[in-house]
Amino acid sequence: MSLLEMREVSSGYGTMRVIHGLNFTIDPGERIGLVGLNGHGKTTLISTIVGMTGWQDGSIEFMGQQIGGRRSHGVGRNTPKIVRSGIAIAPQGDAIFPGLTVEENLASGAYTEGAWKTRKQRRDAILEVFPPLRTRLKQSAGTLSGGERRMVSVGRALMADAKLYLVDEPSLGLAPKISIGLVDALCKIDLGDGAMLIAEQNLPLLSGRCDRILGMHAGELKEDVGEAFGDIPPAAEM
Amino acid sequence: MIELIASGLVLASMYGLVAVGISLTWSSVGMLNLAQGFVFTFGGYVAFLFAQYMAKNFSIRDGVLLSLGVVLLGMIGSAIAGLIVGGLAFLPLHDRVNFPVRGLIATLAISIMGTQIFMLIFGPQSKPLPQIFGIKRFKIGDFSIAYGQVGTIVVATVVLLVVTLWMRRSRRGLQMRAMMMNPLGANMVGVSVRTTGMIALAISGALAGLASVLLGQIFFVSPTSGVQPLIVGLIISLAGGLGSMPGTVLAAVLLGFAEAVTARYTEQSFVPFVQFALVIAILTFRPRGLGGVLEDVRE
Repeated sequence: MSLLEMREVSSGYGTMRVIHGLNFTIDPGERIGLVGLNGHGKTTLISTIVGMTGWQDGSIEFMGQQIGGRRSHGVGRNTPKIVRSGIAIAPQGDAIFPGLTVEENLASGAYTEGAWKTRKQRRDAILEVFPPLRTRLKQSAGTLSGGERRMVSVGRALMADAKLYLVDEPSLGLAPKISIGLVDALCKIDLGDGAMLIAEQNLPLLSGRCDRILGMHAGELKEDVGEAFGDIPPAAEM
Repeated sequence: MIELIASGLVLASMYGLVAVGISLTWSSVGMLNLAQGFVFTFGGYVAFLFAQYMAKNFSIRDGVLLSLGVVLLGMIGSAIAGLIVGGLAFLPLHDRVNFPVRGLIATLAISIMGTQIFMLIFGPQSKPLPQIFGIKRFKIGDFSIAYGQVGTIVVATVVLLVVTLWMRRSRRGLQMRAMMMNPLGANMVGVSVRTTGMIALAISGALAGLASVLLGQIFFVSPTSGVQPLIVGLIISLAGGLGSMPGTVLAAVLLGFAEAVTARYTEQSFVPFVQFALVIAILTFRPRGLGGVLEDVRE
């Protein structure tokens, strides 16, 4: 059974339709890249999965549970429930909590009972992935640099006991060297039977690191574009 | 001198309880709760009804258990009133356009209606509450201080400390602080704005209920007894910096002492002048209030 199955999903804001009848599945263990230009619906696709668009229509099944359906109001009202059912998001930019310390920011990602009890171990695992945060634990997250903030944001998502991780534009606004490090770290994480979806504008960053790379154009998915760009060397070798 | 300190701290405790509640609601829910006065009075009446019931049916008019019951019932009653305010003004409105203004109007309406409903049910007369700390006084040197004053200060301090610790240590507390910083981000880490908001309203209510029972020791409960605490609580939470617990407590102490000193050396009627002048002075020099955390909290 696939982890996430979207059938005929459309969504948008007000009178604007951003996602056009999308069909899309994610299987357990997959690491999927989602590439496309600005404004073609990558972020909206992620928002749709967790119910944060203005309206949506169509079926989204996550581990056999229906989390989609038709909805035209209550933006984000179901999001906490969907997130708790096992989908972790690292949103575009970074929706971190500026007045809380890095440690508290990470702890807030452990929202299930089990994850909360093991938050110390989970935090240590994340510090392995993002060593620069180690010395910043007691520091207020609002005083961090852009790269460190992104690490907190992604780390917070990884704190969760989730099956599906949605990472939106990890490289946005970061220096190339830092974004390569961040994507490298994301690709090293052992997913087990979970899956990860990374939305990214910068194709070379993902190329060769993901199981599948999907293209997104004008609210529609172009299946596996990784082949078409096969010549592009992975970013680290550039 | 000691008497002055005692009365200043008593006022500070009660104002602090109400102001921390208003501050907590504003920073987590994003709604300036003008119905906090209604919440305050509601708890006072619940405590009064409980005391009346005990006196009538069991002839219990004082004692530790009754005192405990009055305090608990006052807090529970006001927590329920907080949930009522949430159900009427927060849940239906919070994801609509312009919620801050709509919330303000809705809570103002609840406040006005609440006063009239209390007037209809209980009449305009003030209702006394039992003296929960007894009426005895003790002496320090030449000064005599009531047990009630000490009790009020101790209980308020303990409760505020417990709330602060809960906010710092527990998972719910962390979620609430996360929501204060960034409601959207909190939503994305599985914090339900609706549930957490209702919890914040219930806690604010319980704090107001405690203040109501404590104030009921000095002034009796009446339909309009929530107005003064609401106004002072509002300006204290502003002066303290909305969302900052330490700032709010500091502002409460300042205004409590300002009131005690003014009332002692001039006249009671000058108190509001002095209080507002003080708050204006604070906000002139620290526009974000004493705690000054507003930049970290909501816009």
